Formats: sequence, structure tokens, C-alpha cells
Amino acid sequence: MNILRTIVAKELLDGVRDRRSLFSAFLFPFLAPLFIYGLMTLVIQQNTETESITLPVINADAAPALVAHLKEAGFIIEAFEGDPEAEVAAKTVELVLSIPIDYQKTMAAFETTRVTIIHDGSRNDTSATVRQVRNLVRIYSSELNALRLVSRGVSPKLMRGLQTENGDIASDEQRAANFLSFVPIYVLMAAFVCGLGLAIDQTAGERERRSLEPLLINPVSRLSIVFGKCLAASIVAALGMLITLGMCLGAMLMLPIDELGIRFSLKAQQVVGLIMAILPIPLLASSLQLLLGLFAKSFKDAQSYVGFLVFIPVVPTLVMNFLPFATSFWMYFVPVFGQSIMMKEILGAEPVPLLAYPAAALPTLLAGLLVCWLTSRLLDQERVIQS
Amino acid sequence: MIEVAGLKKSFGDVVALRTVSFKAEDARVTGLLGHNGAGKSTSLRILYGLIQPDTGFAKIDGVNVSQDRILAQSKLGVLPDGQGLYQRLTPREHMRYFGRLHGMTEDMIEQRSQELIGMLDMGSIADRRTGGFSQGERMKVCLARALVHNPKHIVLDEPTNGLDVMTTRKVREMIQELKTLGLCVLFSSHLMYEVSKLCDEIIIMAEGRVAAQGTPEQILATAEESSLEDAFVTLSERVAQI
Repeated sequence: MNILRTIVAKELLDGVRDRRSLFSAFLFPFLAPLFIYGLMTLVIQQNTETESITLPVINADAAPALVAHLKEAGFIIEAFEGDPEAEVAAKTVELVLSIPIDYQKTMAAFETTRVTIIHDGSRNDTSATVRQVRNLVRIYSSELNALRLVSRGVSPKLMRGLQTENGDIASDEQRAANFLSFVPIYVLMAAFVCGLGLAIDQTAGERERRSLEPLLINPVSRLSIVFGKCLAASIVAALGMLITLGMCLGAMLMLPIDELGIRFSLKAQQVVGLIMAILPIPLLASSLQLLLGLFAKSFKDAQSYVGFLVFIPVVPTLVMNFLPFATSFWMYFVPVFGQSIMMKEILGAEPVPLLAYPAAALPTLLAGLLVCWLTSRLLDQERVIQS
Repeated sequence: MIEVAGLKKSFGDVVALRTVSFKAEDARVTGLLGHNGAGKSTSLRILYGLIQPDTGFAKIDGVNVSQDRILAQSKLGVLPDGQGLYQRLTPREHMRYFGRLHGMTEDMIEQRSQELIGMLDMGSIADRRTGGFSQGERMKVCLARALVHNPKHIVLDEPTNGLDVMTTRKVREMIQELKTLGLCVLFSSHLMYEVSKLCDEIIIMAEGRVAAQGTPEQILATAEESSLEDAFVTLSERVAQI
């Protein structure tokens, strides 16, 4: 116990004094949520902004009723002259609605009249507006159809053979959790990012500085050396992870996501649940980093190997998005995967079985200890000790 | 007393040690002399528990290093090849860390650190981070780190390698001082004159074998030469022909 405390204290002191790498380690917890907050605010704005969008229309005079319908929905109509395709391509206008010159003539003849929306389908920022205009034209068209039927003595109901009702079973919180699925990724990523520098410095760095050999000459078991180093890196990683969690939750509460028709609220109970769920992750993350750090031939090698580990937390969320499934209990047992599911459920205010906590924590902690043991075995190999 | 017997070690296809046996007595300085690649560092690494021999054993005060590494290591002070330090820690913190790893109490560490700071003339650098230290200052920290737990046996792997004249002289004085304190001092070198000046006992290694062991006079007699340098060359060549 004393030996462990000695190693942890030394590694933390050494790590804290390395201001530059400490700074870069904690850039992630502070910057990532801010970046996400900015991005999400932008998305929400784009999705909710309807008023005062200018819509350039060719030949607007030919269809006063349609134009009035668009104006009513909040568009400012602007007469457009020139080459619509060229201007859309040059991004001087977002989209152009083109009304044919014979609009009135075909209308009067009860023929199909075609209006054209000229836009750039590869642009993400205009797709919402395009969809909105297309929808408004469709609504106008169905109103027109109804009037045409009525004028011939036919009930407009005949046109509505089928209609869908919205039966969304997801609660507002669940939809919010889905919308904010980046939170579990970022929080778990922080566990892999924040202790990374310290873990490499303690392994590949220690070997490259030739201080590994003097350390191993001490009358201490290899396992306690590895475990002490792992604990030191985990403490830093856990700190970074908890800061990221706090920042992300803060950002979620501040985001005006209710404007999207979804709701997010947070109880103290949920925060405690989240922390309990993710706390074992740093130990596993740090132990893997130490293993790769010792396994790598050099400091630079170690950095690129360990860098790949950062993508581990992305996998579960990707799987959940592309292969939707219902949660079965065995899934909690899979390290990182279990924690991702739990975070998503807790954020969505879904009930999480109490047994899920130990079910997720134990395999993760055991895996971390196993990796520590493997790492300590590496320290018996000449190839690993000598730089 | 340090004793190794019948050590054999191969790294893949490369045979580093063929058969190595020697002894280093207490209160004596024993020098391990050999060309680069003769097997000096490998023998020492086995001795201080860093690598395992294929066959044979190393004993510190009768404790077999392979069987009870931790007990054997607690009896040893080691200055390994290279001067690896923690750049962000001070010499005092180095001594504290290694003292704690040896299970010393805080009082003992404090007292011993003060002693070593005086002995090695480190007063002005004891509380500065080792990051910008000169080679001589680094060597002092390495020595202090090796000696903090007051070991009865001290092993130094090429302690004067790459040092300037002043520091080399300090290290040699230090070795003499340790001997007068009754310690068993074993050090390796590839410098003939260094070994002949400092050692009571010389072990000449070549090609992973011990070519000769004895006092400087005995070595001369074995080789039938008049200078130690000639004796070293003759004995090394003799082994190479086997």
C-alpha cells in the first residue's frame, strides 16, 4: 500500500510539474463542450429560423395567390431576373423559385402547372429552406385541388384515402438524449485523452530518458510499479472525464433545445448515476495506454499507437446508430459499450436496472487489472526494458 | 559478498554470456574489465535482477537473485549504465522517491539525504530540478539515489563513461571512500588504467567468458606479462582462440 502511494505521489508530482502537457491534456475537457455548444446552437437556429428569409422568385406577378401564400408563411418575396442556375452555383442566392409565364393559362385550363425550385442539393445550410418552400407549394397545391373538386361538386375527403397520425412513443427526454448522443462519446473520449500524456511519459518516456532501469532495480514488485503508474494516470483521466461531463451537461442545459420540440432536464440522481457508471473507465483506458506505451519502440511510436485508442468510445455509439437494437442485459458486461448504453439511458431518463452498475463496472475494472498484469509481465523482457 | 556462478545468457541467436563465474568480497573494490560487448553489462543486469540468466545464478550475501529478487535488490545499490533522471524532480526528491521504494521511513530518508548531500557536495543543487544539470551534477544525483538506502553492496556500470576529468576524479575518490566504509564495490570499465589504479581484485572478461580473476599481481603472473595492459590483451586473445 505504501509503495503504491509512493509511486502514485511521485508520478502525479512529475505530471503536474509538466505544465505544457497538462495544459494540452485539459484543453479537451474545456474546449470540446464549448465547440459542441456553438455547433448545436447553430443547428437549432437553422432548424427554427423561419421568419424573414428572402425568397427570389422569377415571374412572381403571374401567381399572386401562391406568392401571398408564401408571404403568409414568413417569406419575403423578391423579384428575380437573370440566370438562376449561375447565381445559385455562385452562391449569391440560396435558391430561386421559378414560376412559368403560362402559369395563369395552365391554371385556367386545369392542367398541371410546374414551378421549379432551383437550388444546390450539396449545400447543408439551405436544405431546410428548400424543404420548407417545397412543403408550402405542396400545401397550396392540395388546397387548390380541394377547391377544384368542390367546384365540381365532389367532396375533398375523397382525396384523403390515407392519413398518418403521429404516434411517437419516445419521450421528449429520450429524443433529447438521441439528439445529444455526442455527450457519451465526448465524456468517454475524455477518459482516453486526458491521461494519455502522463501514461506515455511514464512508459515510453521513462525508457527513453533511461530512468526505467534505475526504477526496476528497486526492491518492488513489477505489478505494483505498473499499478501505481496506472492509478496516477487514471486519476488525471478521471478528473478530465468528470470536467467534460460537467461541461457537457451544463451546455445541454443551456442549449435552447426545447425550440426543437424536445426537452432535457436533469436531476441530481441522474448526475450521480452517470458518475457511477463511467468511473471505472479511466482505469481501463490508462492501463491500455501503459501497455501500448511500453510495447512501442519509441516515444513517437507510443504516441501514434495510443492515439488510436481514443476512437474506442466512438464505436458503441456508431453501432447504436447504424444497428438499432433493444438493450439486453448482457450488453452491460461489455466494457465501454455498457457504459455508453447506460449514459444514453440515464440521459434519456429511462430506468436503468440497479444491477447494471456492478455488471458494467466489474468487467471493466477486471479488464484494467488484467492489462496491468500483462504490462508488468512485459517488464521482465529485455527488449522492453532496453531503449 | 557478491557471487555469480555458471551464468549463461543468449538474446535470440546472439550469445552474450557463455559461462561467467566470479566473486566480489566485502571491503574490497572489484573491477570488471572488458571490451565493449564482452558481457559486462549483461552480467551486471543479471546481478541486479533486471534480466534472468538462462542457467547459473547470482547471489548477493547468499540470496539468490532469481529466487528472491526483492530481498536481493534491497541489499544492493546500483548505478546503471546511462544517467536517467526525472528532469522535473530535485535531487532531494529523487532520494525521497528511491528511499521510499526501499521502505525507509521519512526520518531515515531525511537524515540520509542530508548525509549524502554533504558527502557528495550537493548543497547548492539539492533543491533545484535536475533538468538543466551538468553531467557531473547528474552523476552526483545518480550516486545519491543508489546510496540512499545505505546498501552494503554497490554495483557501478561504467561509472566514469563520458565524464570530464574533474568528475571522473570525484567518482574514483568516492569508490575508495565506499571501500573504506567496508562496502563490497563492484564496478565495470573498459579503461585499463582506471581498473589498475582502483581495484584490489580484477576480473577480465572477453567474449562472454571470464578470462582471469585475481589481484593485479596474479593477473600479471597468469599472463606472463610485465604490464597490465599487455596482460589484458594477451588474456582476451587467449579466450578468443578457444
